[in-house]
Amino acid sequence: MAEGLKNRLREERARLSLTQAELADMVQVSRKTINTVENGVFIPSTVLALRLARALGTTVEKLFQLPK
Amino acid sequence: MPLKSSVEIADRISRKRAMAGVAGALVFLVAQGVRLLVESGSIAPRRTLLDMWAINAIVLYALLATGGGLLNRREIRALVNDDVSRLHYKSAAVAGFWVAMTVAMGMYLLPNSAALTARDAVFVVVSPSIIVAIVVFSCLELRAHRDG
Repeated sequence: MAEGLKNRLREERARLSLTQAELADMVQVSRKTINTVENGVFIPSTVLALRLARALGTTVEKLFQLPK
Repeated sequence: MPLKSSVEIADRISRKRAMAGVAGALVFLVAQGVRLLVESGSIAPRRTLLDMWAINAIVLYALLATGGGLLNRREIRALVNDDVSRLHYKSAAVAGFWVAMTVAMGMYLLPNSAALTARDAVFVVVSPSIIVAIVVFSCLELRAHRDG
């Protein structure tokens, strides 16, 4: 499951100097959800992916990619 | 002292819950040992000790089923039991189910199992399945909290 989706969440969060807790607060999820998405352990729902992209000022396609 | 955000409060509760789950499973295991000692006659049988198993089982089952923290605000509960925790709950329930099925089928196939009472059978099936479900849930939660 974890190999099915690559993500740039950690890089995008670092770009905005946000902590996991701050991003979690913006998206209204728990810090462990941000942590597991970043680590590729948890694949987010479409709604969560859209909320993450909006909070980070990017698009879902830039944030998440299928492996080539 | 600065006020903590909902995310920070939920994070703390979620960690505590995972650790409480492991501790609860250990207490439950000890309770099984006590019960076995009571039944083998090593110590005087006491009704309260026997009831400990049922109370422990119900508490652990309630923790797993509800996610705990019923006294917390709705917003906090939603954060504690978000998508990741619900996924962990499903994984734990599946693990518990397979343990219960395996133990139940094993008991059925054992030649002397017909001599067991219904209460004994419930004890043998429920105990390992609850322990496995709680430990799986707690380990997945603790892993989710781990950085990196």
